[in-house]
Order: sequence, then C-alpha cells, then structure tokens
Amino acid sequence: MSTSDRRPFLPFAILGVVAVVAVIGVVVKLQQPSADVVTAPAVEPASSAKVATVTIQHAQGESVVPLNPRRVVVFDLAALDILQALGVDAVVGVAGDQFPLHLAPFADAKFARIGTLFEPNYEAINAARPDLIITGGRSSAKYANLSRIAPTVDVPMGGARYIDTVVANTEMLSRIFGKEEKARELVDGLRQSLAKLRETTASRGKGLVVLVTGGRISAYGPGSRFGVVHEDFGVPVAADGLKASLHGEAIGSEFIREKNPDWLFVIDRDASMGQQGGAKQVLDNELVRQTTAWTKGQVVYLDPLNAYLIGGGLQAVGLLRDQVAQAYATPAP
Amino acid sequence: MRLFVAGIVILFLALGSLLIGVGDVSWHALVTPSPDEQALQLLVISRIPRLLAVMLVGTSLGVAGLLLQMLVRNRFVEPSTAGSAESASMGLMVAAVLAPQLPVVGKMLVAAAFAMGGTALFLLILRRIPLRSVLIVPLVGLVLGSVFDSVTTFYAYRLDLLQSVNAWKTGDFSTILRGRYELLWLTLGLTCCAYVAADRFTVAGMGESFTTNLGMNYTRIMGLGLLIVSLVTAMVVVTVGMVPFLGLLVPNLVSMFTGDNARKAIPWVAVGGAGFVLLCDIIGRVVRFPYEIPGATIAGVLGSVLFLYVLLRRDARVG
Repeated sequence: MSTSDRRPFLPFAILGVVAVVAVIGVVVKLQQPSADVVTAPAVEPASSAKVATVTIQHAQGESVVPLNPRRVVVFDLAALDILQALGVDAVVGVAGDQFPLHLAPFADAKFARIGTLFEPNYEAINAARPDLIITGGRSSAKYANLSRIAPTVDVPMGGARYIDTVVANTEMLSRIFGKEEKARELVDGLRQSLAKLRETTASRGKGLVVLVTGGRISAYGPGSRFGVVHEDFGVPVAADGLKASLHGEAIGSEFIREKNPDWLFVIDRDASMGQQGGAKQVLDNELVRQTTAWTKGQVVYLDPLNAYLIGGGLQAVGLLRDQVAQAYATPAP
Repeated sequence: MRLFVAGIVILFLALGSLLIGVGDVSWHALVTPSPDEQALQLLVISRIPRLLAVMLVGTSLGVAGLLLQMLVRNRFVEPSTAGSAESASMGLMVAAVLAPQLPVVGKMLVAAAFAMGGTALFLLILRRIPLRSVLIVPLVGLVLGSVFDSVTTFYAYRLDLLQSVNAWKTGDFSTILRGRYELLWLTLGLTCCAYVAADRFTVAGMGESFTTNLGMNYTRIMGLGLLIVSLVTAMVVVTVGMVPFLGLLVPNLVSMFTGDNARKAIPWVAVGGAGFVLLCDIIGRVVRFPYEIPGATIAGVLGSVLFLYVLLRRDARVG
C-alpha cells in the first residue's frame, strides 16, 4: 500500500529539489551585485579623492595603502600601541576588549568592536568603512580575507629580534602616517635607554623568565617571545639551551631551584586575562624559596598585559624596560 | 603471590623514579652526609610527594574505571568517556570564574558535585535507551562528555581561560611538591571503600533485577559507586589533571585473567594503575630532560597502543 501511495510523489520530490536548487541559484546571483554595492562606498573615497598612496612592505608581502588614511581598524595590540605612540588619531575600530593601562582609552564605546584578536567580525569591519586594516600576531592568519575588504598591512611579530622588530614596525607604520620624524625620535630614545639598562643588568647576576598558567610553569630563553629580557634588557641567561618555542618548555620547581637564578622574571598569564593571578601562589614553595632570586627579593612580576598580550609594542616594551630598571634600582634588602 | 611479584616490580620502578629529576639526587649523594643535605631535602620536598601522587592517581583512577564499568555493565567506559571528567572540569571552571578565592578543597567539592551530576545524567540517559549494545554505551558517554566539554570550551574561550582549562584536562605531575598533593590521600580512602564494598559491586554488575533478587538495594549500590567515581575524578582533576586511558585500559587488562570478580580485580587494578601512571610519568620526565612532557600525554600515546592490543587480541571478550 505504501509503495503505490508514494510512487506518484517521486516526480514531485525531484521537482521540489530542482526548485530549491533554482531558488538558491537565483538568490546567490542576486546577492552578487548587492555585495558589490555594499563594498563600493568603502573604496570610493580613496579613488574619487585621488589620495596619495604609499607602497608598504610587510609580513605578508606588499600593499599599496593610502597615505595618511583617515579610517583605520587595528587587530594587533602592538600596532595599536605604536600608533598611539606616534600620535596617530585615525583609529576607528579595535579588536578585543582587554587593554593594558596605557591603551585603556580604546576600550571606549566610540571605537567600533571589529571582533577578537583571533577572529574578525567581518560585518562590523565593513560597517566601519576602513581605508586601512592592520593585522599582526594572532590575527595574521586572517590577512587574506581582510585584505579583500580594504588595503591591509600585516605587522610582523616580535621574537628572535625583538627590539629590531619593534623598530621596523614603528618605521613601517610611521611611513603610512607621515610620522617618520616622530618615529626616529622615539626609536632613538628607546635604543639609548636600553643601552643604559644593559650596563646595569650585565653585572648583576643571571635571570630566568618563566610563565605561569593554570598552576603550570614554563621557561623561556633568548629568542623566545620573552627573549627581550635577555637580548635587549641584557640580563645574563641562567638556564642555557632553552629552545625558542612558542609555549616555552614545561618545567618543575626543581628546575628553577637547580638553575638558581639571581633574578626571576615572572609572567602571570592568568592575570593577563583578568583572572586572579595565581603565579605567586605557584612559585611560593619550598624549592623556589631557596633560590637567590627569592631570598634577595629579586622576583619581578612583569606586567602580564604588556609582556604577554601586546608583545612588540613600542610603549609596552618601554614600560617593561622601566619595570626591570626599577627592580634593579631598588637596593637588595 | 603473583600480585606480590608485581608489587616488587612497581617498587623498583618507584625507587628508580626517585632518582630522576633536574636536581642532584643519587644514592651516593643520599648516603654521604653533606653539610646542606640538599639531596635529602629534594627527596622529601619534591621526589617522594610526586611519587605518592602518581601512585595515588594511578590506583584510584584505575579502580574508579573498574567501578564505572561494573555500574554501567560495559567494558568501554571510564571516567573520561562517561562525562565525569568533563563535568568535573566544567565545575572547576565555574569555581574559577565565580569564586576564584575558594580554597582547593572548596574547588574540589564544586568539581565533585558537577562530576556527580554529569555521571548521573549519563546513567539516566542509559536507562532510557532501549538498545544497550556494547558500542552505544561508550558512544553515549563520549557524546555527553563532548557536550560538557564544548560548553566549558565556549565559556573558557569567551573568558580567555582556554589555557587554564587545558592545564587541568592534561594530567601533569610537574607541579607536585610537598603540601600540594595531600588531597589525593582521600582517594586512597575511597579506593579502600571500593574494596570493602567490592562484592556488592560485583553483584550490581549482574544487573538490577539480579541484585534486587538477592535482597540488596540496587539504587544504594549505584549511588555509592557514583559517589566514589565522582569524588576520585574531581580530586584527580583538581590536583593534577586528567589521565586518559587509565580507567579503561587497566581494568580491561586485569579482567583478562581475574574475571569479573571485583574483590579479586581491585588489588590488581590498583597495582596496575599505579604502575601504568608511574611508567608514563618516568617516560615524560626522561624523554626531554631537563624539561617535561605531561604524564597524561604519554598515557594517551602508550594507552592507545595497549588498548588496541586489548581489542585486537584473539580471544577478545567484548561486553
């Protein structure tokens, strides 16, 4: 009974499928031009005003961007940090909602939220009508998609050559906004202050950089994302052979005790995420307490937002430098 | 007798593990008196606590796995495939967000409550499923666990807690020191509880009507088992993180020669579990010396290989 009932429906079923496919096809066709209409206004000001452009070499190739763009959206906190230092006020949208103290003004609602550090909100970006998008670090992977909306530059991450990257990024961004002179001034200042810091740190004992998260400890050496402490701040290395891997090397407290650093630089990752920092609780144990760093009170909790979240900002690196300089300035008790 | 031999083997492994670490601890250093007694200190502060934590986790998680398998009457279930570990981890996140200042015991209790809820939900769903084939049961557990996990991951992502959540999802003994593992002693009490009540669990493993026919309270036995499994899971997740495959592999290997008698199986599972985790922890410490690989990672690799062997061996008894 069921077969005889169903058979006449078969042609209808096929017809139905065809109809659905056809409707989808039409909708897609219709959407194509409408999408063009949406993007058109974003491009128009640049082309109609015949603004000057500048060709920028960046981490993912070369982009022709408008000189002195008026509407900039920024994914990378390091780039945001540099733009602020340069005195650029063209930023209209920022990613994420965690900002260190010096970037706190960007938490204001007048700046469009264009997604997270990792994941762009394409609709919000379109609505912000940017004439320049800046990616870097965590958002670098989205470069290809974003560069279809507006000219995009990808700011390289700091790492093995930390300060060199900061300087290069500052110079690159200064060219876009015609702030070369200001950039030169800032970079010279930074280099001089670092040279001065290195004079103090070189002779005051060895240091170890550790990151604490979720109760686990990992160590970082030169060339890692926190290598700036050794390479540019000039702190001698307490543990040789640490590879420059992104997440550091998992260690136990025994490792810290054995390497016995004179200075322990701690990045409390959970604190950078607005959590109650548990690093002190993790490190305050019978083994770490035996190290020179602990007994002399030479444990420096680096600002987690500046050290972890920004990584490569001109001001952030300056603030870290100040933190280290201050720690070395206080006489050991 | 065979159990005694196995115990001796584990003892040797344990003594060996005491000598592995970044600091200098050797028999020589221990025997010769040095002015600062550094080796002895390291032994007391770091090595012995770590060894004890490893043993306690191995023992209790193995027995928890065995109990769960009896309660569910399925050999392919363990705390981390029945929603227990995932819900405990969810509870830990809730505690971390809402009450970050809570002491460890408080966090553990929250996690245990969640673990109990999650495991109970698993048992409830199983009761409602008409078709209880061998594969459906663990599948239901995996699906349920993934649901819990996705909720945890979603909120962890929104609250930027992913790295912390990952930390308690992978068991790692590197942070164990004197004063930081003592909660695990409670698992020993629970393991003993399980041993005392072993015959009841054996009977419960035969099914509800069988148990009731013998004049026993099936629900109460189930409740006790649920309590033990949840508390053990929560304690392990809170102090070191989850160790995969342990609760699945060890009871299955043991049942290959002891059968389904819990009183016979529990001592073997306890010894086997301790040995398995100890082996994994030692490998994790040696492979990249002086850095570490979490014991749970090693357990995942080693466990999957061994479990495939259990599945593929000739006389596989499934179910």
